[in-house]
Amino acid sequence: MEGKVSRASRKLESSPIQELSQLAQTCGAINLAEGFPDFPAPPHLKAAALSAITADFNQYRHVQGICHLLATQMKDHHGIAVNALSDFVICCGQSEAFAASIFAIVDPGDEVLLFDPAYETYESCILLAGGIPVYVPLSPPDWSFKKDELMKYFTSRTKAVVLNSPHNPTGKVFTKDELETISEACKIMECFAITDEVYEYITYDRELHISLASLPGMQERTIITSSLSKTFSVTGWRIGWACAPANIASAIRNIHVKITDSAPAPFQEAALTALQSPPDYYCSLRTEYEARRDYVVQILSVLGFQVRFKPKGSVFIFAELPDHCELSDIEFVKKLIEKAGVAAVPGCGFFHTTRQPQDGEKYQRRYIRFAFCKSGETLSAARQKMEKCVNEDGQLCL
Amino acid sequence: MILSASGAHHYEMPLSLRSFTSLKRALLSSSSPSLLLRGSSLVPTMAASSTTTVSSTDAGAQLNQSAPSSPPVQVAKRLEKFKTTIFTQMSSLAIKHNAINLGQGFPNFDGPDFVKDAAIEAIKAGKNQYARGYGVPDLNSAIASRFQKDTSLVVDPEKEVTVTSGCTEAIAATILGLVNPGDEVVLFAPFYDSYEAVLSMAGANIKCITLRPPDFAVPLEELKSVVSANTKAIMINTPHNPTGKMFTWEELEFIAKLCKENDVLVFTDEVYDKLSFEMEHISMASLPGMFNRTVTLNSLGKTFSLTGWKIGWAVAPPQLTWGVRQAHSFLTFATSTPMQFAAATALQTSDSYYEELKRDYLAKKAILVEGLEAVGFVVYPSSGTYFVVVDHTPFGFENDVAFCEHLIEEVGVVAIPTSVFYLNPEEGKNLVRFTFCKDEATLRGAVERMKQKLRKR
Repeated sequence: MEGKVSRASRKLESSPIQELSQLAQTCGAINLAEGFPDFPAPPHLKAAALSAITADFNQYRHVQGICHLLATQMKDHHGIAVNALSDFVICCGQSEAFAASIFAIVDPGDEVLLFDPAYETYESCILLAGGIPVYVPLSPPDWSFKKDELMKYFTSRTKAVVLNSPHNPTGKVFTKDELETISEACKIMECFAITDEVYEYITYDRELHISLASLPGMQERTIITSSLSKTFSVTGWRIGWACAPANIASAIRNIHVKITDSAPAPFQEAALTALQSPPDYYCSLRTEYEARRDYVVQILSVLGFQVRFKPKGSVFIFAELPDHCELSDIEFVKKLIEKAGVAAVPGCGFFHTTRQPQDGEKYQRRYIRFAFCKSGETLSAARQKMEKCVNEDGQLCL
Repeated sequence: MILSASGAHHYEMPLSLRSFTSLKRALLSSSSPSLLLRGSSLVPTMAASSTTTVSSTDAGAQLNQSAPSSPPVQVAKRLEKFKTTIFTQMSSLAIKHNAINLGQGFPNFDGPDFVKDAAIEAIKAGKNQYARGYGVPDLNSAIASRFQKDTSLVVDPEKEVTVTSGCTEAIAATILGLVNPGDEVVLFAPFYDSYEAVLSMAGANIKCITLRPPDFAVPLEELKSVVSANTKAIMINTPHNPTGKMFTWEELEFIAKLCKENDVLVFTDEVYDKLSFEMEHISMASLPGMFNRTVTLNSLGKTFSLTGWKIGWAVAPPQLTWGVRQAHSFLTFATSTPMQFAAATALQTSDSYYEELKRDYLAKKAILVEGLEAVGFVVYPSSGTYFVVVDHTPFGFENDVAFCEHLIEEVGVVAIPTSVFYLNPEEGKNLVRFTFCKDEATLRGAVERMKQKLRKR
């Protein structure tokens, strides 16, 4: 019967993240692996959801008000003028928005560029649609890329570039220059850009997230995807969206309608409240996450990790294993779970290229991703646990 | 934009949501059946929403203004099969004409308090983050228990149950996870519109068998002639939308035999299983030798009148579940967490809930069916679901679309033209579908309007 599984889905393997996650659960480890908060969702949001359920907003619906609020945000934050009536598709999370976007534009044989390391799901969607993922490596330690190098990855079959910024797993925020480089390439090669901007409001050191679609000539070829999940700590509500020119949005919508038909109704109502949160909310969000980032960067540095790149956005730190450590990332994480009782994610799951830096070391097996979207108590407890496993130099020794 | 090697695929400007009259003209002027579908082109779904209504003419004007004069954009070829659903078009028109909507299949009454309370408790208790991808353990268990009560089959909630965003997603995940490009899949027409669209997304080769009035029985010999060693799967929907037909033991046994002989899978959509009125619902998975080759799909929405919560599931043996889970993880990753907890509570309810559900729906059905017969429709017997299909030809319209237009504009009632549920729309042109998942006052109101204003020709 195994022959019955589709060829496409057989290419997709069980994620190492999931397996280690199960080990972490079995060992009762502190979870700094998965990117969702362990602190409560904002009270004003929960209240809105409760009201919606009580007021019988429980049948299939499309809450148009969400689109109007998003359109206003795009105008105010990015200077992008979109049509609330035609340019949005409300989906079950950014996950579905991305999948629907891929299915809307990728034909079998189309190439899609991704920056490496990359969130593992993008590739799977592309493969499922019959597309070919092509990886552009970002170079450590600062995860940069060269302009002329980027062009080499485009061919006449390139349909789209996927841009995730702020970036999971590195925490990089693509700079204006980098966005200009990407946009020039897209315009020359006449291809789409699909952005994943779920961490758009989680940036640090006064760095601002710039939406690729706001660059000249980009709005007409960019599909923006994002969601409530990370901004509002409601990853389990599944409210996301795609925003694109009307023609493309229509295509995405038609796919979405056949995949899920509608995002959960009461949470769409609650989204209206979320999207009307005052500026204070976004300030606090940033400030609180920045404090967590600083805390974890400090702990990891003291423990011997090499944090040569401090994240400018997202809820992740991509830390390099201590110099002296001879373990691979997977081996290290396994020991971290078993001996220190702390779970993180081995970086290899995010890498897809095999290019090696000049010193010959395989950097793709040297990175660990820590999530810091956790309460102060959790982060503190994690620190204490790891501190129990240090050598006389105070460095983590497993 | 880059033109594909196989030729330019100019993406047409989405038709503005113009009046149904011109849509009818477009549909009727086309000679080829496929154009009939293309006529109901890629219109943005301006779904009915009680809080935020958009007038269709405004939307149309806006669309024309907003569409950028950008180069022809290259959308995927699979989009040809992905049209705006007829449901949302009808709903928009219903609003415009203040028509009573017996078209779209969701209730105008709400779900039970005990289930809503469970969701509220879950949100308050902080269950608002990602659930385990294939389902919250409590819900997987509840689904397995319910499945056992219904079929006597014992399934492993960890390995054989997958939770999805509604049955719509379960269907998409099943097809995308298990069907290869070029695989033959048998479909029975009329069919729920997502089947064909997702099958074409998977590149399947569809073999369609038409179920015909008056009893929409499966034409067994025709089915046999179409199934071979090349067949990958047969899709079944029982109780059946739109006809209300329920597959009989004999039909299921016949299909099972063909499947076993030819090593064929079955994907069975059973969302209306608790709305079975004239006979007992039978799950294909419960037939001897069939569990290992069947994916059983279901959801919370229809049974508990919470269609907007999007909680569905697939029950299948591990080797098939794996494919479903893979596709699901890349389609939506995880399903709404608080609703899953509430769904677990719902599924643990006693049988008295289902008995009362049936009683309520039977009463509603009686109002509608008696009313439709009195008005002059030929009403086909519906054994299950909350749908009834009728022959509208006594009223003298050339096809279902024309009839439905008249029904909305002149009578003030919405029905769904069933031709959209067929590969060849000609086969459905005499039928329209009414739903009775509405409160009794609404049903009586609709019947009254039809009695007063619908005249035989």
